[in-house]
Amino acid sequence: MTDTARQENPVADAAAIDDQPAIRLINLTKKFGEVTVVDHLNLDIRRGEFFSLLGPSGCGKTTTLRMIAGFSDATEGTIVLGGEDVTSVQPHKRNVNTVFQSYALFEHLDVEGNVGFGLRRKGLDKSEIKRRVNEMLELVDLAGRASAKPRELSGGQKQRVALARALVNRPEVLLLDEPLAALDLKLRHRMQVELKEIQREVGITFVFVTHDQDEALTMSDRIAIMNNGLIEQSGTPEDVYERPRTKFAAGFIGTSNLMTGMHSEAVLTLESGLSIPLPGHPELTQGAAVSIAIRPEKIWMAEFDPGMVRIPGTVSATVYHGATTQYLVDVAPGVRLTVLEQNLARSRHDDRWTDGDTVELGWKPEHVVVIG
Amino acid sequence: MSTDLQDAVAATLPGAKRQSATRTRLWGWLLLPPAAWMIVFFVSSILIVVALSFGTVNANGRPAFGTSLANYQALMNTTYLTVFIRSLVYSVTTVVLCMFIGYPVAYAIALHGGKYKNALIAALVIPFFASYLIRMYAWSTLLSDEGLVNQALHTVGFTDGVQFLNTPGAVVAGLVYGFVVFMILPIYASLERMDTALIEAGKDLYHSPLRTFFAVTVPATRAGVLGGVLLVFLPALGDFVSAQLLGGPSTFMIGNLIQQQFFESQNQPLGSALTVVLMLALLVFMVFYLRATQRQNRET
Amino acid sequence: MAATTIATEAKTTHSTSRRRRSVEGKPFFAVAFTALFFVLLYVPIVVVILFSFNSKKSLSVFGGFSNRWYVQFFNDEGLQSSLRASLMIASIAMVGALLLGTMLALALERVSSRPARAVGTVSLVPLVTPEIVTGVAALLFFTGLGLKLSLVTVIIAEITFSISYVAVIVRGRLSSMSGEVEEAARDLGCTSWQALRFVTLPTIMPALIAAGLLVFALVFDDFVLAFFTTGVDPQPLSVRIYSEIRLTISPAINAVGTCMLAVSVLLVALSLVIPRLFGRKDSSLDLISGG
Repeated sequence: MTDTARQENPVADAAAIDDQPAIRLINLTKKFGEVTVVDHLNLDIRRGEFFSLLGPSGCGKTTTLRMIAGFSDATEGTIVLGGEDVTSVQPHKRNVNTVFQSYALFEHLDVEGNVGFGLRRKGLDKSEIKRRVNEMLELVDLAGRASAKPRELSGGQKQRVALARALVNRPEVLLLDEPLAALDLKLRHRMQVELKEIQREVGITFVFVTHDQDEALTMSDRIAIMNNGLIEQSGTPEDVYERPRTKFAAGFIGTSNLMTGMHSEAVLTLESGLSIPLPGHPELTQGAAVSIAIRPEKIWMAEFDPGMVRIPGTVSATVYHGATTQYLVDVAPGVRLTVLEQNLARSRHDDRWTDGDTVELGWKPEHVVVIG
Repeated sequence: MSTDLQDAVAATLPGAKRQSATRTRLWGWLLLPPAAWMIVFFVSSILIVVALSFGTVNANGRPAFGTSLANYQALMNTTYLTVFIRSLVYSVTTVVLCMFIGYPVAYAIALHGGKYKNALIAALVIPFFASYLIRMYAWSTLLSDEGLVNQALHTVGFTDGVQFLNTPGAVVAGLVYGFVVFMILPIYASLERMDTALIEAGKDLYHSPLRTFFAVTVPATRAGVLGGVLLVFLPALGDFVSAQLLGGPSTFMIGNLIQQQFFESQNQPLGSALTVVLMLALLVFMVFYLRATQRQNRET
Repeated sequence: MAATTIATEAKTTHSTSRRRRSVEGKPFFAVAFTALFFVLLYVPIVVVILFSFNSKKSLSVFGGFSNRWYVQFFNDEGLQSSLRASLMIASIAMVGALLLGTMLALALERVSSRPARAVGTVSLVPLVTPEIVTGVAALLFFTGLGLKLSLVTVIIAEITFSISYVAVIVRGRLSSMSGEVEEAARDLGCTSWQALRFVTLPTIMPALIAAGLLVFALVFDDFVLAFFTTGVDPQPLSVRIYSEIRLTISPAINAVGTCMLAVSVLLVALSLVIPRLFGRKDSSLDLISGG
């Protein structure tokens, strides 16, 4: 917002600042030579939200994060941070802090020195630094290890130091680049919960880069799924999981049964000749190629409700997962659907199927997601 | 968000001119002083050597630049050729001896050093940072006609005494002693990098430690040996201290000739030509060496 | 913490058992040969030290302990001024080479442009150039410029030669330091210069100390370069010794040599130990032995 705008309409301007996103990316583009890594990205990240950039490696998510932090120049486009264009601002002058994948702790400083580093650069007085560092160490549960050197810490502790070192500066936005990738599974789950709690407590906007869909789903307020430098879809975890808008989004988050065929008269005819009823979609044009996606857990194999779409099939494989069992069911030559059944107490032995069994599959029409 | 709105927002924002946030000239500036230093004091000084090798000594004994091949022609006589060949023979012998001495030592430390590995390597390295001159001097007193070695020989019955100094053997021994560490370290490094499972597998396959050694260990450490050959050959060919202290005029090498031209004959252009010949010999060797390592890289 | 300890212990037992097995598994030849090698490696050094304390003038008959050669050394004004000259050369060359070599290493690790790589290659050439070539080149360069040979010319030549060593050691350390560390510093409010000063340099400090000590030892002992580039008075200690041992054999040289050995052994040992004190696994020892 320019000064003139502010003078002309101060009231409207104040309202605009309130609505202002923490980060606004406008046509953000990054090219390395001929390769376009981030391709005209447009994105708003709201204040105080836990936002995840989710995608496979090489999708441009880390490059986007590095551009926001200022470590990488945008080839084109604009980065707006709290209403201010920071595209050409050096990293040390941006009010963002980063938690790095490698933690990037300063080996020559102890935990206290690491955490207080940013505050010392800002020139705060010693007692204030001490107070805030202690408060932060308290928050990340490292109060007893203030004088430990980074090499004496475990992976999880290093992770917390990296987090505390960034958060203590009270940045407008905290950027996290796959911060949990180096931890083992159990610790990762614990840190996911802790990270989310800390975010709620401090109320700072978190931008979290990950390739782990579970992590993104459990932690985020909103997720952007990135692929080939583009955002495929963004929305709440439920949005992107339940209502994927692209084949990529449907396939990348969770498993999905994807089927493509010709649509006519509320029936989808697959290449193999299989006809699948597709009621409730009057918006689809006749004779158009349509893809549909159904989540494995949304397909039933018994106790059908009336109004369900039902098709026959043959079990080709079963995989027991403990809480669930996964069935691979052939419904037509070359069309194999994945079905996930809860192993509930009520499941009787004769509810179970084995390879070669003929079964019936059923799903509610509203659980079918139609993709372009 | 529509494109129009985006453009509108972008236009109102300050700093429309694109600047780099990350570009910093720091590293470029850091490169400047050392690069300048190396160019002024190293590259240009080598070029002066090459230029002066075509020069002459003028009437009052001062060196002068020129375009004459006279210095190189002067080197084409048997006296100089003998020294060239002698230097090559000494250096090659040194390399071969270093290989036969260095390999077992590197092998023993790398594979059987256990927890003393680092201590042994330190014990190996430390003397080589001690003055080369002092170490050569030590050998010259040990091997002299009245030295400790001859005394020891005398007590066990060799009453005639053996003349060690002024022999090719003493000069080569000095070179080996001086540079063997440069053979051991790269071989040690390549043995360290080698997967010991390879040896275990080789033992199962070949049933004989010796065959395993030649079929598995030696090929796996070829790069290290080649590196060692380079690191020993280069200083050995240019050395003059060993021949000076342990040998005599009959064992002089190129290095001694160069030193003579600069400090006794005061014929700097001829000395430069000798230096250029030495550099060329090393360059040819380097080319062969790089070829060999490239082949090695392709094979592995 | 406990888990780490157990893991370390397990590793130790494993390696001990492997060592025992492999030593039993024959190569007595290699082990015995290595023992002999180490004996020969140290014999001349031990002899120099031993005879520096000889009460007799002989270099082959030991007549009992005496410090007379040390007294002679410390009362020889010529040798003393050479010693001072060598210490001065080594100190200044160490500082100069550390400064330039560290700059070079930092730039080469961070800049990947073609000219930078060319400079990188050139800076390694002194490592594979026989000293006599470097010495001749330096001599001609200085005399060509009409400079009078002196301790200054020795210092310049030694710096040129040592930059490569520093650059190799420091680059080795830098390459094991994630580039994200500097980014983290900039992220936390440092400019590039401040990141270098407050983070990079303190992090690589052990490597810098090790490199400095190593350069000091190398330059203090160096003979060939000093021989070609020194003036008449005062001469560096090694050049002085060279002219003395060519003329006469004097046991005082053993005393001088012992002192020089002591200096370099101390410095090199320190340079090997210091990075370990800072908890770094990649000491210069690993860098040296790693090729």
